[in-house]
Amino acid sequence: MLTFGEVHTGLLQNSTSLPWDATAEVLNLLVGEQVRRSERPMAYAVSPNLLTSVDCRLPAASGKVIRGVGTVVSRASITGGHVAQGSGHAVVVKSTANRRLSWSHYLTRPGTIEAIGKAVGGDIARGFAGASQPMGTLDLGAISGRTLDAVQRSTRLDRHPPFRTQRTHMRWVVTPTDEPGVEATGTFRVATPTLRVLELVVPREHVGAIVDLCEDLALHDWLLTTLLALMESSLTGPGTRAQRIARLRPAIDTLLHLWMPAARVDEAVQPVWQSLERRPGFTRQWEASVSRIRDQMTLGTLALLESATA
Amino acid sequence: MLIFATSDKGGTGRSVTSSNILYRSALQGSDVCYLDFDFGSPTSGAIFNIPTTLHGTTQGGLHSYLHGMVADPQRLEIWQESDRSSLRSRPPGAGRLVLLPGDSGGGEFPITKENTERCARLFLHLEEEFDLCLVDLSAGRSYATEMVLAATANEALRNIRTRWLVFHRWTRQHVLAASGLVYGERGILHTGENHGHDREELANSLRFVRTAVVNPDSPELEGLRPAQIAWLRDVDRDLSELASSRKVGRTLLLGSIPLDPVLQWREQLISDNDVWSRRIANRETLEQFDSLAKKIVDDAAWETL
Repeated sequence: MLTFGEVHTGLLQNSTSLPWDATAEVLNLLVGEQVRRSERPMAYAVSPNLLTSVDCRLPAASGKVIRGVGTVVSRASITGGHVAQGSGHAVVVKSTANRRLSWSHYLTRPGTIEAIGKAVGGDIARGFAGASQPMGTLDLGAISGRTLDAVQRSTRLDRHPPFRTQRTHMRWVVTPTDEPGVEATGTFRVATPTLRVLELVVPREHVGAIVDLCEDLALHDWLLTTLLALMESSLTGPGTRAQRIARLRPAIDTLLHLWMPAARVDEAVQPVWQSLERRPGFTRQWEASVSRIRDQMTLGTLALLESATA
Repeated sequence: MLIFATSDKGGTGRSVTSSNILYRSALQGSDVCYLDFDFGSPTSGAIFNIPTTLHGTTQGGLHSYLHGMVADPQRLEIWQESDRSSLRSRPPGAGRLVLLPGDSGGGEFPITKENTERCARLFLHLEEEFDLCLVDLSAGRSYATEMVLAATANEALRNIRTRWLVFHRWTRQHVLAASGLVYGERGILHTGENHGHDREELANSLRFVRTAVVNPDSPELEGLRPAQIAWLRDVDRDLSELASSRKVGRTLLLGSIPLDPVLQWREQLISDNDVWSRRIANRETLEQFDSLAKKIVDDAAWETL
């Protein structure tokens, strides 16, 4: 019927880029399972998948009571030693039975929630993508948030981050399509200062690649949001130009080198990134911001040179 | 950084003073949040002039969160939600000012492993975002105090800087009560030690703030008779002696808030406007708030003596 998920992204609570051995320990959330990692084009490590059992109402735009039973898959990841993410998702399918089955049934289908009763995919998708969800319905954000909390509370972190910043939440819904020749497409909107909603239509065979794509989008959206917030507080705050530039330092040290759109995303869903690059245009805004920071630094250097020669 | 505000008894002006300190801190450019842990009487909405939350919230506040009813407690951005004009827009250069209200109709509740764990998780989460989190506790020995002592003893919170402010009025009974709250049986140090804190470390992270203090040398007391002034001086000296014998003296004093009519008659934030244009509040009060906002984050003011 549909796949939905939520990704929470935040700054890892450590003063420096977290070394590999510590990363592996921080992400070791399940005993006996391996932490996977890759080094190119950027250090990236991901925890084993965790399962959370759920039996609750699913959000529905119509307000209809739809019961969902099954499991949500969640995982945590660390990118570039600085950015931590908690991500949870589930596939919703129609239940063949009209009642809850034994848990062994659901445990053989990890990451699948079976909707009991009359359920329409579009209704749930709209309910999930809405800005507010009624109390008592499935809260994927709570599962993702808790997964991220598990990383952030690790005692391997020194808890002296270079700056303080908000987490952002990316909620995403994928409706599969069976129409031949259709490319993956998506719409992105900023619902609140911290919540983003992504609605996607993807050919059925490529739905599996979507989780990586959404985590990648969430990462870049967080980078952009955080850079803009840092620039606003640094450049509009009081002080001389040198002081304002000094306040931008943590951004230069930790964020600027992490921008690498779609680096780990399956080719089949690349069109989504490309369409989001056209509108709203993440990279365009990122590059404009980075060049603004560099211009400020150049002006600061010029001022220093002038004062030295004067 | 986490700041816990507590007081020996009710009515010391703990909430209004700590709100004002936090407000000055936001104006100085820090991102700050205020957590209303006074579960019996959540009043912070009134101090920040949030019309929907005057006596706590119904939208899933801190009670609901600690009881596991909601995944995250409600947050109110003061610069957007307050209906007081001087708080309505964020002044240039100011940081974020966020209120986490208590639930209306809530009450004290005993601590459990679960709510202590949720409390620790909340502190860790807020610490990611804010330079300063001020937790306003109930007066006296309370479950809220015990819960935060248990939560901050958690290993994951070990590296987070934590400070305690104990507010008390400048009278004999209040000095004795403040001393009892900190050093006495089932006091803060005793309870902290039981939950795994180092007694000395905890004592070093604790300072006193005197509220509604009448200064015998203040020009405003010129109307008093000489006998009254002389008596005031005597009392002040006796109190100072009592305070130092009870370890509530000058060495552990972070600040004194003078008696101010605006704070006495209405708990509210004192804005620059109240002092400079409307002239209803005293300049000294504002200066004390400003200085306290700087001192709570200034390591020099917290050096071990």
